[in-house]
Amino acid sequence: MNSSPTSMLTIAWFCLIGIFLIFYVITDGFDLGVGILSLFTKKEEHRDSIFASIAHVWDANETWLVALGGALFGAFPGAYAMLLQSLYVPIMVLIASLILRGAAIEFRHAAHRKRGWDLIFGIGSLLAAVTQGVILGKVITGLAPGIASEGFTVVAAVGVTAGYALLGATYLVKKVSGQLEQIARRYTVISMLLTAASAILLSAGTMLFSPIVQARWAQPGVFHVLVALATIAILSFIYIAYALRVGSVRGPFRASVLIFIVSFAGLAISLFPSLIPGHLTITAAASENPTLVFMLLGIGTVLPIMIGYNLYQYHVFRGKVVAHH
Amino acid sequence: MPVSDVLNLSRAQFAMTAIFHILWPILTISLSAFLLVVETLWIKTGNVAYYRHARFWSKLLVLNFAVGVVSGIPMEFQFGTNWAPFSQHSGQFLGNILGFEGAMAFMLEAGFVGVMMFGWDRVSRGTHLFATGMVAFGSTLSAFWIMVANSWMQTPAGVTVVDGKVVVADYLRAIFNPDMIWGVTHMWVAAIETGLFVVAGISAYYLLKRRNPEFFARSFKLALWILVFVAPLQVWLGDSSGVDVFETQPAKGAAIEGHWHTNPSGQGASWSLLAWPNQARQENDWSIEVPGMLSILGTHSLTGKVTGLADIAREDQPTMLPLLYYAFRVMAGIGFLFVVLAFWTAYVFRKTRGRLSALLENRMLLLAWVLCIPLPYIAVECGWIVREVGRQPWIVYGLLRTRDAVSAVPASAVSGSMFMFAAFYVVLFISFFVFAKKWLKNGPDLTLMPPVEQVRAVPTAHSGY
Repeated sequence: MNSSPTSMLTIAWFCLIGIFLIFYVITDGFDLGVGILSLFTKKEEHRDSIFASIAHVWDANETWLVALGGALFGAFPGAYAMLLQSLYVPIMVLIASLILRGAAIEFRHAAHRKRGWDLIFGIGSLLAAVTQGVILGKVITGLAPGIASEGFTVVAAVGVTAGYALLGATYLVKKVSGQLEQIARRYTVISMLLTAASAILLSAGTMLFSPIVQARWAQPGVFHVLVALATIAILSFIYIAYALRVGSVRGPFRASVLIFIVSFAGLAISLFPSLIPGHLTITAAASENPTLVFMLLGIGTVLPIMIGYNLYQYHVFRGKVVAHH
Repeated sequence: MPVSDVLNLSRAQFAMTAIFHILWPILTISLSAFLLVVETLWIKTGNVAYYRHARFWSKLLVLNFAVGVVSGIPMEFQFGTNWAPFSQHSGQFLGNILGFEGAMAFMLEAGFVGVMMFGWDRVSRGTHLFATGMVAFGSTLSAFWIMVANSWMQTPAGVTVVDGKVVVADYLRAIFNPDMIWGVTHMWVAAIETGLFVVAGISAYYLLKRRNPEFFARSFKLALWILVFVAPLQVWLGDSSGVDVFETQPAKGAAIEGHWHTNPSGQGASWSLLAWPNQARQENDWSIEVPGMLSILGTHSLTGKVTGLADIAREDQPTMLPLLYYAFRVMAGIGFLFVVLAFWTAYVFRKTRGRLSALLENRMLLLAWVLCIPLPYIAVECGWIVREVGRQPWIVYGLLRTRDAVSAVPASAVSGSMFMFAAFYVVLFISFFVFAKKWLKNGPDLTLMPPVEQVRAVPTAHSGY
């Protein structure tokens, strides 16, 4: 076992896993959100634009999850084994929904009648968002049974779904035009209110029901950082409302991304040094040093390159989409 | 016995998801490599036919790629959901390698596939070629890391076991474990062979129908000339891989050959051409034997020692012997058949000096190529059955038994997820064939012109069709 309390290496890997998670949540978050919103979009030409806005990036976005899974498996095999085994059903439903939507978006291109595939894509996206919320709720509540943690999990599922819808709506504001852009602006308002409400409930719930997180928040310095993060989140919400008023195209998406970054930073700070509160600390879950070093050399060096070509792909397809046939 | 229920269900689920998944990446690996060749030829020769080939075959790749990606997700997470003790035991090496696969290879493929498929009129020809190259390289690198992980499970090396967990002592030895070089090459060449048979088979189909014969003669010949080298190469790799198996996993070697009794020293082991192995009797029910042949095949020497299955403790013997025995024969038989078909066709080409009319008249030959399309897939599945079932009862050979590696999850949860995957796979399979049939019916667009260089179009998104 690792002798030092929490080695620099384990902390580095905790941060790297966090980076993978935040990349996944933001990138796949917006295309899951776009998928959820497509359920409410009645005109097929609108849905054509919606799908055109993510056709070239959804696959790479989802790949962050695979990279996250692999990195977690290698760096924290204890956590990988415990989480996936305990959350068998939500994980399987998540996988199923990702299969549904991935197949649907590619088959849609080739299909003559698109309606059915669109529906499958939308439902798959919604189901994926909900199960990710459930998994988040289960992790924060330390896999504990009981009515309080179930309630918390339900709110987490709503919160993640609303948050993804917010990312998706603001992404659409950036990528589509005309009537659909106006619709996307309306979706932004609704999902923003839902996200803010869930965020408040989740923060309050964490404070009231999680003794481990309570103890963590009471440690010197932690609370101040969290207050600063919360302030940034509040300002971001206000900024989105303002950006919508003045008709900004890119502003709302950027602010939504910022909300996700500070939320997950807050989560990481609250959990540290636990991975699954009450069950597993990062030290207990971590691999031995040889693995952590070798993985850091391998993955740490390719991470900037990964980010580089992902950004390049976004750059190639930048600007508003015009779907045509 | 609930534990064995979960064990069998989890094994069945893994087998089903793996058998389904492997169908797609093998074509992604080879078709993206083929597209790289075709696109390079286009840029080098300026011949627009190659451009049209690239556009035509890339549509098949799009369909295939999607199913490959989505069916791969259950593979990545099943190690944790269904094999948590195994993940704990081997995660420090296997998790590391799977992490490399995701970050280095899978992401590379995904990061450029958008540009490759939708970026034709958005980037320069050189950039597009680069994107195609990265997709091809990413899928090959992915196969490399996956085979590193799997070969380590066959012949684990470079680790010590501390408190029931694998700790990596020597990365070079762990990565370059004894089976790795054969596992990686045999699998990669199998993937390449699959794509070439698909390209050649579909081209032969159009030639049979006399639809755009000149266009498809080009792809047929290209695939054929590569196969003339690749098909015999694969037989050689398979043979070398077999010798390695007899050395490193004698129980698997004996099982796939129905070989029960170790040959006395100075005497060659006899080889059964066909047999029916019976585990209960520890004997073949019947067999057609060739004296001395197994020593030659398995050790490349006249009297090399080949351990018999009866001389291996019963609890260390693989089960399902007839499956192993015949899966091996089907795989090897297809491998030889491919060499014969490739050489025969090359001979016909030489004899007729490559005249298109002669090829079009040789309908039996063309039909043979069409009928061969499913065979590389069958060979790959049989190869994986030999590899994985033959490793049993171990999950990590000699280190961890499969029965000690399974998660403590309710059997109902596993049967539920398995049923769900089965249903999805049926839908994916049917949908793929419906769309592939449509693609086949539409055929290539022979009026398609490459986008004019140096003109930046107004950013628009294409659906790619």
